[in-house]
Amino acid sequence: MTFRRKLLVIFALTVFISVATVAVIVSILARRAFEKADDERTAALVAQFQHEFTRRGEEISARVAAIAASDAATRISYAFSRKERDYAPFLGEARTIADNQQLDFLEFVDGQGTIISSAQWPAKFGYPDASLPLGQLPQSAFLKKEDLPDGEALGLFSVRKIDAGEGHDGENHIYVVGGRRMDKEFISGLELPAGMRAMFYENFKSGFSPQSLIDPSGTPQDPQKIADFVQQVLAEKQESTTLVHWTSNPAEDETLHAIPLRDLDNRIAGLLLVGSSRRQYVELRQQIRSATLFAGGAGLLLAILLSGWAAARVTRPVEQLAQAAREVALGNWDTRVNVHSSGEIAELADSFNHMTHELLEQREHLVRVERIAAWKELARRLAHELKNPLFPLQLTVENLVRARQQTPEQFDEIFHESSTTLLAEIANLKAIISRFSEFSRMPQPQFHSLQINDLVRDVVKLVQAQLQGPGRSTIECSVQLADTGEMAGDPELLHRVLSNLVLNAMDAMPQGGRLTLLTHAQENTVSVEVQDTGMGLSPEECDRLFTPYYTSKGHGTGLGLAIVQSIVSDHGGSVSVRSEPAHGTTFTVVLPRNLDKLQPGGEERNDGQVEV
Amino acid sequence: MKRTSLLWLAINSLALASLAVASLTITTVARAATRPHYGGVLRLAIAGPVSSLDPADASNVSGQTAIQHIAPLLFNTLTTLDDRGEAQPSLALAWKSDFSSQHWEFQLRPGIAFSDGTPLTANAVAASLRVANPRWNISPAGDSVIIESDSAARELPAELALSRNSVVLREGGKLIGTGPFTLAQWEPGKNLALSAREDYWARRPFVDSVEIAIGRSPRDQMLSLELGRLDGVELAAEQASGTVAGGRVVNSAPDELLTIVFSRDAHSPEDRRLRQALGLAIDRSLLNTVVLHSSGEPAGGLLPNWMTGYEFLFSTSPDSQRARQIHEGINQSSAWNLGYDQTDPSARVIAERIALNAQDAGINIKPNPAASPDAQLVRIRLVSRDAHVALNHLAISLQLPAPDPHRASSQSTSSQSLSTADLYAAENALLQTERAIPLLHLRTAVALARNVHGWSEAQDGRWDLPNVWLSAEKPSTEKP
Repeated sequence: MTFRRKLLVIFALTVFISVATVAVIVSILARRAFEKADDERTAALVAQFQHEFTRRGEEISARVAAIAASDAATRISYAFSRKERDYAPFLGEARTIADNQQLDFLEFVDGQGTIISSAQWPAKFGYPDASLPLGQLPQSAFLKKEDLPDGEALGLFSVRKIDAGEGHDGENHIYVVGGRRMDKEFISGLELPAGMRAMFYENFKSGFSPQSLIDPSGTPQDPQKIADFVQQVLAEKQESTTLVHWTSNPAEDETLHAIPLRDLDNRIAGLLLVGSSRRQYVELRQQIRSATLFAGGAGLLLAILLSGWAAARVTRPVEQLAQAAREVALGNWDTRVNVHSSGEIAELADSFNHMTHELLEQREHLVRVERIAAWKELARRLAHELKNPLFPLQLTVENLVRARQQTPEQFDEIFHESSTTLLAEIANLKAIISRFSEFSRMPQPQFHSLQINDLVRDVVKLVQAQLQGPGRSTIECSVQLADTGEMAGDPELLHRVLSNLVLNAMDAMPQGGRLTLLTHAQENTVSVEVQDTGMGLSPEECDRLFTPYYTSKGHGTGLGLAIVQSIVSDHGGSVSVRSEPAHGTTFTVVLPRNLDKLQPGGEERNDGQVEV
Repeated sequence: MKRTSLLWLAINSLALASLAVASLTITTVARAATRPHYGGVLRLAIAGPVSSLDPADASNVSGQTAIQHIAPLLFNTLTTLDDRGEAQPSLALAWKSDFSSQHWEFQLRPGIAFSDGTPLTANAVAASLRVANPRWNISPAGDSVIIESDSAARELPAELALSRNSVVLREGGKLIGTGPFTLAQWEPGKNLALSAREDYWARRPFVDSVEIAIGRSPRDQMLSLELGRLDGVELAAEQASGTVAGGRVVNSAPDELLTIVFSRDAHSPEDRRLRQALGLAIDRSLLNTVVLHSSGEPAGGLLPNWMTGYEFLFSTSPDSQRARQIHEGINQSSAWNLGYDQTDPSARVIAERIALNAQDAGINIKPNPAASPDAQLVRIRLVSRDAHVALNHLAISLQLPAPDPHRASSQSTSSQSLSTADLYAAENALLQTERAIPLLHLRTAVALARNVHGWSEAQDGRWDLPNVWLSAEKPSTEKP
C-alpha cells in the first residue's frame, strides 16, 4: 500500500468514525427526546380526554337534569302515573327533546324499567331497558353499552329520577336517561397535537372486531395489526403501549397507547387508543442519517483532498527522488531533483543532487582515465605490433651492413635474402596498419535475405581443415541447427562474426576439445551459440572482452570481438558471453530477423528507405 | 195616554223594528255563507310524486294514489261506483252482458265532448280502453262499445270505474279528457293547475280552478295550510287522527293496506310455519295505536271489514308465546332482511317494531332499506270500492297468484255476481300462500281549511272536487 493510500485510509477512517459517533449520539439523544416528548404528549392527551370526558359527562348530566325538570318530562310522568298507559303521544317525544338538547340517546323509562319513549330506538316503547342501573343511580356520568336497531353503541350517559307523586300502584316515578355516543364526533372534539390521533375501541364482542374501532381520521389501513394488542390490553385490563407498524414504511409507524375505560359494572366498555405518529422521529432520524451521510461523504472527500494534499506535500519529493533514481539507473546521470521544500526531504534531495553530481564527475573522470588507458593500450599494441616486424627489419639491415663489411662475397646472397625478409616484414607492417584502419572504417551492413544455418555451415566448412590439421590437437566440431527460418542481414559481415567466434574458440582450445555451434529460433529473433571447452575466462576478462585492442591471447590485435560486437550491434542484435574458468566459454549472438528491412524484391537498404 | 207614554211606545217600536231588521240581515248573511256558490281557486297539496297524468301509465307506480285523486278531475270513466261499490252510469248510460259474462256492450251517453270540443265516440273510447287493457278485445259498435274477454268478467262494470280505465283522448302527447276540469298548467312532479269546464256534461264545478302542489313534505304542507297558503293537504296515515289549527281533518274509511310481502314463495313447510309465527308475533294493535296514532285498524285479511264484512274472521291478536313455540319447533334458522320505504317517516319505526316483536319469538329480522330484502313493508291503496276488483288488484300489486273465486267456490255460476263466500274463499286462498302478512288497514285523510265546503267524506277517500266550494271566511292572497 502506498504512502498516499495509507494517508487516505487514516484520514477517511478518522472522519468516518468521528461522524458516525456524532450521528449515533445525536440519534440516541433524538430518540430519547422524542420518546420523552411522546410520553408527555400522550399523558397530556389522556388528561385532556379525561377532562373532556368529565366535562362532557357534566354537560350531559346538566342536559338530562334540564330535561327531567322540563314540562315534557312532567307531562310524561303524569301520564304514566295513571293506570291506563298510552305510549302513542310520546312516541316521538324523546327524539324531539334529544334533538333539542343535542343528545344522541334519550329514553324515558318508567319505574319498572319499561321504555316509554326512546330517541335512539323509537320502536322499543313498552320494552324493558335491561341496561339501566335503577337500583343505585350514579350521580355522575357513566359509560354504558346501548342497544340500537342496527347494532350496539357505547355512550356516555346520565340518569335522573322524576317523582310523579302518588300513582295507582303507589309511589310513582320515571327516569330520564340521556347520553351522547362515543363516536367519531366525540373523539373529534379532542384537541389533538400534530402527529397524534385518538381512536376508540368498543368492547362489545369477544375477540377483535375491526368494526368496533372508531377512528375519526378514517379507518386504519389494516386494523388487524392492532388486534393482538387490543386483546392483550383487554385481557390484562391495564394501560399498555406498543409500536404498530402499519406499513413497510417506518414513517407510518405509530406508538399506540391504550387506556381501558370501564362502565358501571367495572367492566371494560372500551379502549381509548392514543396514537402518536413516529413520522417526525423517523424524519428526524432520516435527516440525521442524511446529514451523517452528507457529512461522511464530505469528510471522505475532504479526507481524499487532504490526504492527496498531504501526500503530495510529503510523497511528491520522494516520488521525484525515486524517478530521478530510476533515471540515474538508466544512465541519465545528469538527472537533478528540484524540491521546493524544507526539512529532511529537501536534505535528501540535495544529497541526491550532490550524488548525481559526484557520479557525473566520477564518470567523466573515468572516461578520461579509460580514454587515456585506451590510448595507452593502443600505443602499447601499436608498439607491440610494430615492434615485432621492426626487430627483424633491424636485424636484417644490420646483417646487410655486417655482410657488406665482413663478407662482401656473400653480400649479394645475403642482400637477396635480406631484401626478401625486409619486404615480408614491411608487408607485415602494412597488414597490421590495414587491420587497424579496417576497424576504424567498419562498413554498414547490407541487408539480404539469408538463412543463418547456411552461414554456420559455411564457416564450419571453412575451418574444417584447421580443426584436425597437422601439428595441433584435434577439435571435435558439433553443429546443432534448428529451423531458424528466414532473416535479413549482411551475409559477409555475419560470416565474419561467426568466423571470429569460431577462430577464437579454436584458439581457446590449444589442447583440443569440442566446438559446438547451435542455432535457435524465436519469434522475432535468431540466436547462435558458439561453445568451446577451453580454459574459460575469468569474470574480469569477460567484462573487458569486447573492449577494443584487448586480448587475452598472446597474439592478436584485440579487435576481433570488438568487430563482432560492432557488427552485431549494427544488425540491432546483441552478443554476450558466459564463461567459467576451466569450463569453457559460450558466446551467444542474438539477431533480430529484420525482415522489415528487406526491400520488396528481397533487398533493403540499411537506412530503411524503400527504393522504388 | 200621556205624551211620554206615546214617546216610550214609539221608541220601543222603533227598537223592535231595528232588532227585526238586524235579525233578518244576520240570517241572510248566515244562509249566504253556508250556501254553495261558484268561484275561487282551490289550492291543494299532495305528497306523492306524480310524473305523469296518464292514468293508464303503469310505470307511474309510486304516483298511483295521487293519480286516483287527479284523474277523475280530468277524465271520466264509463262507470262509477257508489258508496256500496255498485257500478253506476257515467260515460256509459247502460250496459249488458251475455250469459258467460265474456261479452259486454256499453252504450255511451250522448252529447258528451272532450275538453277540446272533440265529440266522445265509441271509437275514441275503444282506443282509450285498449291502451289500459291490451288483452281485451274492444270494438266500437255505433254508439256502443263492445268488450270481450277470454274469461268471465262479471265485475267488468266495476273494473271500468277504475282510474286506469279513464277515457282519454291521446293526441300528440296531450291527454284530453271529458272530466269536469281541463288542464291549464302542468309541471311534472311539481305543480298542476286545472280550470273548471263551463261545458262539463254533468255540472260545472263550483270552483273556477284547482291548483295542486305536488311532492312537498307533509311538514311543509301543514305549515302552508296553517298559514293560509293552501286550502287542503293530503295527510300521512299517522296524521289522520290529528287536528289542524283553524281547519278540520276528513278521514276516509281504511282504504290502504299495510302489509309485509315476501319476495318469494315459502320454499318449505318450515318456511311457511315461520311466516305464520311472524304473523302471530306482531302486535298490530300497538303498531296502530302508538306508531300510527290509531289511524287505521289491525288487519288480519287483505280487504278491510267495511268492504267485505268478514274481516273479523281473520285473527289480529298477537300471540308471542305461540309464535315462539312454532319457531322452536322448526329446525331452521331465520334471518330476514325487511325492506321499507325510506321516504315514509313511519315505515322505519314500524319495521323496527316488527323486528322487536319477531325477536320476542326468536325470529331474526333485520330492518334494512338498502339491502335486497327477503320481505318488504309496503302500503297498497285499494283501488276500488268493489271488493272483488280491489282484491284482484291487491293480488297483482303484491305479485300474488291471481285469485280465482270460481275455483274457490261452486256456489256461483258465471252469470251470477260473485258472493261474499266466493270473495272470502279467494282472499283466504291468497293468505294461505303466506306470501303476505297483513298488518293494518289505514285511513287516508285530508286536512282542509275552514273555507272549504262540500268535501265528500267518501269511504275510499275519493276527491269529489266538483262539489267543493269556497267560502269567503278566510281571505287569502298568498300563492302556495
